[in-house]
Amino acid sequence: MEGEAFTDINGNAISLDCQNHSGSCREFTVSSPKMSIGKVIVYTCCVWLLAYAVFFVTENTAVLSGAILITLVGMMLHIHFVKVDHESLLVIGSLGIQVSSNFASGRETTTFIEMSKIKDIVINEAIYMHQIIYYLCVLLKDPTEPTAVSCVVPLFQSSKPRLNCLVKVYKSCQEILSKC
Amino acid sequence: MGQRRRAADLNNTSSHGGSGAPAEVLHIASKKHNICMVSDFFYPNMGGVESHIYQLSQCLIEKGHKVVIVTHAYGRRKGVRYLTNGLKVYYLPLQVMYNQSTATTCFHSLPLLRCVFVRECITVVHAHSSFSAMAHDALFHAKTMGLNTVFTDHSLFGFADVSSVLTNKLLTVTLCDTNHIVCVSYTSKENTVLRAALNPEIVSVIPNAVDPTDFTPDPSQRRDDRITIVVISRLVYRKGIDLLGGIIPELCLKHPDLHFLIGGEGPKRIVLEEVREKYQLHDRVRLLGALEHKDVRGVLVQGHIFLNTSLTEAFCMAIVEGASCGLQVCGHSEYVGCGITQLIPGDFPTVRSLCAGVESVIAQQRSGSVPSPMSVHARVRSLYTWRNVAERTEKVYDRVSREEVLPLDRRFRRLRAHCGPVTGSIFALFAVLDFLLLLLLQWLMPDRVMDVAMDATGPHGLWRQELSIKVSATAQAAQPDILLK
Repeated sequence: MEGEAFTDINGNAISLDCQNHSGSCREFTVSSPKMSIGKVIVYTCCVWLLAYAVFFVTENTAVLSGAILITLVGMMLHIHFVKVDHESLLVIGSLGIQVSSNFASGRETTTFIEMSKIKDIVINEAIYMHQIIYYLCVLLKDPTEPTAVSCVVPLFQSSKPRLNCLVKVYKSCQEILSKC
Repeated sequence: MGQRRRAADLNNTSSHGGSGAPAEVLHIASKKHNICMVSDFFYPNMGGVESHIYQLSQCLIEKGHKVVIVTHAYGRRKGVRYLTNGLKVYYLPLQVMYNQSTATTCFHSLPLLRCVFVRECITVVHAHSSFSAMAHDALFHAKTMGLNTVFTDHSLFGFADVSSVLTNKLLTVTLCDTNHIVCVSYTSKENTVLRAALNPEIVSVIPNAVDPTDFTPDPSQRRDDRITIVVISRLVYRKGIDLLGGIIPELCLKHPDLHFLIGGEGPKRIVLEEVREKYQLHDRVRLLGALEHKDVRGVLVQGHIFLNTSLTEAFCMAIVEGASCGLQVCGHSEYVGCGITQLIPGDFPTVRSLCAGVESVIAQQRSGSVPSPMSVHARVRSLYTWRNVAERTEKVYDRVSREEVLPLDRRFRRLRAHCGPVTGSIFALFAVLDFLLLLLLQWLMPDRVMDVAMDATGPHGLWRQELSIKVSATAQAAQPDILLK
């Protein structure tokens, strides 16, 4: 299927890609925009200008080489641990849900939740920083206590799509979940 | 949880899927209002303001309005919760400073409150209680955002000490450009008008109500060989406990079958204990200490007469509750008339006037000329209902929604004219800063980026539609732990 354009809670464009692997297996991928070169340049310039100002006062060249090192390491850490390129949710009826997020560096973290532990997938409201947002989450149940909710796993945590996108994902998920 | 699923299913049928439709919603809801109740005090905190907000909201929902409540977080209870009939409560994580009231800086609550007002398409902001800093903040921000405002005052204040002078000044500032003010009694109205230097025409009086199902009479609990007088109040100066200490020995001397049952706790307890010690009344005056609200009825039904010695009261819930339990009510006040109370004449209660009042009630009781508990209960039931309160509050909303919100320049002039040159100028500056902050927030996070919340109540309320489809749905609805994160 084609990727559709949505926005995240800050108004940035994101795209949602739904793939139907089979009747009971669907994959949703939310892709955030790539890191803009302008932003990288701005941050680098800030650090370097600051370093140059310090160098101007102290006249110590270690400051400049330190600044270069900081920008390089900072950029690497950012793309490795912070910047998420795309997040995907793979729902396989009767088997479970796989949640994975791919970082800009290519690193991938994956979690799998068995169907026996899943109580439901819901859209919930939360207070996030200085706003109130909708988010999609998986409710887990404790096998010993089938009626209670033991844990809440939020989905699409870094891309934070808006409600219209969440509703779309939610409906497709419920189609599969209701079958099994 | 299941609620959510249905909510999303119904989304496409609802008229405002997605964003960018608040204007349309407002247009449709011209008859019905989207009301936001703001107060620092709400459940799980217990008290008169809390139950007032809850009962009023429930009755307004019944009338088809959309109601959301905003309060601050209580311990781990933060986020969004739903109560009975889809009443949505926002527990915002704002710092609590003193006595469950939030700290105020006039500005820091703007982002979250704006978010609530925008996403819920609020048309009327209704703030409660002058002790609540959040209520003052919300009124301030609502006026900046151009929303109509209503304020309900639940308490009386003095004019003399430092804390009242400061609170009164703050009240003057908040209320001078508020559209309408509601007070719970004429005493309270007089007090508020004086404190905030208001035009009395924009102040309405809407009394509180009592939940008649909670306070029913039960004459079998009474002992017929004696006459029991029940007093339930906090044992503080304002409640006239010194007067109570004065009348107890006098009445006990005259009437050997008279017993007192006193519920409540406070610094004046020592006065009553001294009296009991001095006149050896241990078997006839029982001090019950602090009572839970659920235990109050159990104490009330044991008595024949309910005595209230308050020097001044905004609205004495205890009197209405006592009458609802079928007791003869005796108190010095003009607030509960309508034949249920024995009014004691005079401007200010004294030991002598109270004694005379109680004695006349005792005489009536002995002669058997008092109305039966059931008839008293029926009378209270018809007079003090929350539906009536909601109806009258609705009229206030209708009136307010036709009024215009003062634009910034006229708001300045109003502030300068009403609050004095110094305070007025300071708060005019605050109003400008608030407006600039609002512009900044609107630039950082435009209204169109915010999702319009699903309505649980109101004209497009999803819970209401479901009720007609499936009545059993409400049973699952109240699962706040799931809805909270």
